[in-house]
Amino acid sequence: MMWGFKLEFKQNLRTKKFWLIIVIMAVLYIPSFYFMKSFFLQSGEHITNEAAMSMLINSITGMTSFFVAILALLIGATAINSEIEKGTLRIAMSKPIKRLHYIGGKFLAHCLVLLIALLFSTIVSLLGILYLGGSFTTQLVVDVFLLNMLLLLAMIQLVALGYIISTVIKSSNTALGLAIILMFVIFMIVPSIVNFLAIKNTANSPNANIEEMQKLQKEYTTKYLFYDPISQVKVITEDVSTTLSKNPRDILNVRYNGVAYAIRNNLTNFAHIIWLTILYLSIGFYRFVKMDLR
Amino acid sequence: MILRIEGLVKNYGDVRALDGLNLEVKQGQVYGFLGPNGAGKSTTILGTVGLIFPQKGRIELFGTEVFNEGKYDENTLVEAKKKIGYMPEHATLWDFLTPVQTLDIIGEAFKIPKAERSKKIEEVLKLVGLWEVKNKKVGNFSKGMKQRLLLAQSLINDPDFLILDEPMTGLDPSGIAEFKNVIRDLNKEGKTVFFSSHILAHVEEICDTVGVIVKGKIRLEGNLETIKREFLQKAGYTIILETTRKVSFEDAEWKVTPLGEKKYRIVTSHDIREELHDFVASQGAKILTMQVKEPTLEEIFIQMVE
Repeated sequence: MMWGFKLEFKQNLRTKKFWLIIVIMAVLYIPSFYFMKSFFLQSGEHITNEAAMSMLINSITGMTSFFVAILALLIGATAINSEIEKGTLRIAMSKPIKRLHYIGGKFLAHCLVLLIALLFSTIVSLLGILYLGGSFTTQLVVDVFLLNMLLLLAMIQLVALGYIISTVIKSSNTALGLAIILMFVIFMIVPSIVNFLAIKNTANSPNANIEEMQKLQKEYTTKYLFYDPISQVKVITEDVSTTLSKNPRDILNVRYNGVAYAIRNNLTNFAHIIWLTILYLSIGFYRFVKMDLR
Repeated sequence: MILRIEGLVKNYGDVRALDGLNLEVKQGQVYGFLGPNGAGKSTTILGTVGLIFPQKGRIELFGTEVFNEGKYDENTLVEAKKKIGYMPEHATLWDFLTPVQTLDIIGEAFKIPKAERSKKIEEVLKLVGLWEVKNKKVGNFSKGMKQRLLLAQSLINDPDFLILDEPMTGLDPSGIAEFKNVIRDLNKEGKTVFFSSHILAHVEEICDTVGVIVKGKIRLEGNLETIKREFLQKAGYTIILETTRKVSFEDAEWKVTPLGEKKYRIVTSHDIREELHDFVASQGAKILTMQVKEPTLEEIFIQMVE
């Protein structure tokens, strides 16, 4: 298994898409923290540690759930078919390596590459929090670790979905196109429609308020977007902190609950991420083990 | 027996690529696997190294069954692969690696110890003429250089059985000549070589046995002399007669086309040289010149297909 891992890891760190995503994330993080600092300076408020941690969790989730998710799906969608096109898979699989070991090694390499991207995002966010005036605590380190694991799990689901695409569609370009369409339709447009329906249905109810709307959004996301790991992670991380102010834009007045609490509080969403990851991985691996590599 | 294939069937959707193929490669042979494009050469090879799943048949490697009725025994196949060197058709290697790195990582797959691996890499790169460019990125290589590296990667494990799929594609004439020398040398060392081609000239000189595959079946198999005799049987003859009288071919069993007053083109399905001399002599004439045109391999393939 380590043979496939080494080869794939080396290969992935050299791909343009990996470095492009890292650069885009870096470029977007810097101005976002700069604007936040300017906002606090203008309002004359001091950032509390709880608010800083809450912002950190939100910024990592928001940024990585978009960029690393694209990277994850693209890595998965071209994992097998591009190697068949180039012929490198025929060379690799003609050596005394079992198919399951090879794909297993490849999968581990993809996990590590995604973890590197996540860690990069985390480090930049931590630096951003220090820049905003927050400080390191033990809980912050533990929560950042937990959050990265949660995000990694969600990204693995996308890689696994990519494997299925990669074993079904022979052309890597077509697979890439389909992955991008999937990303936008299923992971962006459909969640927006579901959110819109939640807002609309809340507005129609006689005792409409923000809490009602958030509750309905959560319910709809769990029910109708169970296949979207990004939406499931967002549902979980929303419970990382509770806004104490009546004004939802008052982001500094929060109670920090922690990532472990948020996961415990949303076990159905967590379970959705796990069972679909296992299902997609099983299908992707099975297809690879049984497919013609030509 | 190094390779035994029995009744191998492979369908790609509605297309039957292998139609009950039978094949045997014996220890020490250089087996030329000939056939037109789409005949099933690559499919046979891919099945042998476990890269595709045929629907029916049996494959034995080194006397051990690795495939039977749609299933590979993966443990046995992995063991067999340790003794196989495979060079695929239309493949590229990892562009970001150098030849040394490429062979190092492939050597690792065979669990060759590091020190032994370095020695073997040097030996193999020198053999294929890539030692001078050992530290250059493969991505910058020409097609011919990539072919050489593909051959090198198939030799890194010092295989007993070398399977080469259209290995001379993309090589220039001097490259082809060098390649043939490498095959000869490897065969002298006792290695069994099985290679496919659609060009007869590529298998001449180095193969002792040839198999011709058409539409997924072996149509002709034997040593090169036997195959050539078969080729001649389907020959066309152009003759010029020395005669003062008109020679009639009306009673002849062959298809005769006059090309001039004393010049004829005759096409038959078997060797008629002696018969032809007798036939002409019976009419008081003599053959002045006779040209035997051997059909090209393509023509033979077409005839077989028809």
